[in-house]
Amino acid sequence: MNERELRTETYVPNEDNIYVCRCEEVTVGDIKRAIAAGADSVRALKLRTHAGMGVCQGMTCRRNIEKMLQEQKIDLDLCHSHSQRFPVRLLNAGDFTKVLEEAEEDEEGGCP
Amino acid sequence: MTTDIIVIGGGIIGSAIAYNLTKRGKRVVLLEKKYLVNGASASCDQGILLQSKAPGDHLRLAIYSMEMYKGLEKELSRELEFSQKGYLVLIENEMELKTMEDVVRQQNACGLPSEIISAEEAMGLQPGLNRDAIVAAAFCPWDGEVNPYMTTFAYADRAAEMGAVIKTSCPVTGLLIENGQVKGVKTPEEVIYAETVVNAAGAWAPFIGQMAGLDIPIKPRRGQVYITEEVPKFVHKGAINARYIVAKHHPELLKNDTSKKAKLGVGISLTQSFKGNVLFGASREFVGYDASNTLEGLREVLANATHLVPGLKRLNIIRTMGGLRPYPPDSKPLIGYVKGLPGFFMAAGHEGDGISLAPATGKLVADLILDGHTDVPAAESFDVNRFELMKENG
Repeated sequence: MNERELRTETYVPNEDNIYVCRCEEVTVGDIKRAIAAGADSVRALKLRTHAGMGVCQGMTCRRNIEKMLQEQKIDLDLCHSHSQRFPVRLLNAGDFTKVLEEAEEDEEGGCP
Repeated sequence: MTTDIIVIGGGIIGSAIAYNLTKRGKRVVLLEKKYLVNGASASCDQGILLQSKAPGDHLRLAIYSMEMYKGLEKELSRELEFSQKGYLVLIENEMELKTMEDVVRQQNACGLPSEIISAEEAMGLQPGLNRDAIVAAAFCPWDGEVNPYMTTFAYADRAAEMGAVIKTSCPVTGLLIENGQVKGVKTPEEVIYAETVVNAAGAWAPFIGQMAGLDIPIKPRRGQVYITEEVPKFVHKGAINARYIVAKHHPELLKNDTSKKAKLGVGISLTQSFKGNVLFGASREFVGYDASNTLEGLREVLANATHLVPGLKRLNIIRTMGGLRPYPPDSKPLIGYVKGLPGFFMAAGHEGDGISLAPATGKLVADLILDGHTDVPAAESFDVNRFELMKENG
């Protein structure tokens, strides 16, 4: 595609090539194929495509993926609940170690 | 609906069984109460470990399974992220070293090329180990890794392509038993008739057994693990604690250890995915069907891992996981037709060995159902009928 074509207002990218999950680089096409293969919930899609498994843990893509499931007439109420696991946001292992050690000292010190 | 064989459970074991039976021309329906790879197969590390198997029948089966893994990507025409780079077993004290020397001798007698190496040699293989934390290590170049999700989906998808019916979100609500013989299963939507029903429900296998009045001695054993963001090459050799092997084969040696670490069965399971996420664990706890993460568990797992590999503290955690291993009383899976209940076949109880043993289990189950015998080694050692499953009044 040349520069002029890129600038024309009528240019529409192929929907299937749009990234839904940026962290794991999962496209609309990947999600569509996973739904076709039988994935019927956010977690089933995640296991098949890795969408939502990356650094942001689905915070960016989850809503869009739910919308895609609804568009496929998959009832979200029937989907199995998708739990968020600790730590939800990126957490440095060294920082967490310090927090845990301090908490343990407090416990041992018998603080109220 | 009528079919030849019903497989209950959409983890790596059920999927491998469905694939092997379909490949041999049988009509198969796989029923999964939630979605494929929902249970232990999705909450585990990616090791295909030989060093962790009890020297003897268990190890022979694992070596056979590893041989099958070598050709599996070609057979299933799928990338499975398989590799065979070897694993380290980190030895922390003289008691563990003595036990491991004995274990390695027995492994060598089974043909496994494992060896005890010095702490310095171990650090050459995996830079970043804490020199003060280990006295030696065991190393086996045959240990490998594979992506558990990709492998399960590959088995299930190939089975489906060859004609198997894979039904997810489809719980089994009852077994159809006529004249003391299992004839099929009930689901919320329909009754499905089959000549054989295979219970491959992992940690949930006892619930299926109860439907037939069977007392299946499998218990859920929780594991808690951490996953970090993607980083450049960090894990050069996967690693486990020698304590894990000692606990498995010589629990009596640890009975006086009252530390939280021992109570929670904590051992590092250090590995790194193809994309770069570092995974480390893991606890081994009996807490019923509770797969949640706990502060106590996460604290002990992190303390153990960062003691052995201090550089883990630099990494950022994106997620923790909890999963339930199907624990059998003698570490070995329960495989075979249940005596006294024709039509009912057990294939569960792999505990932490499901990924390692899936290819061999898939072939073993198909052989036993279709031929009544198998060339898979040591098969008789895993016979489900070593346990009395029929309840006394049943």
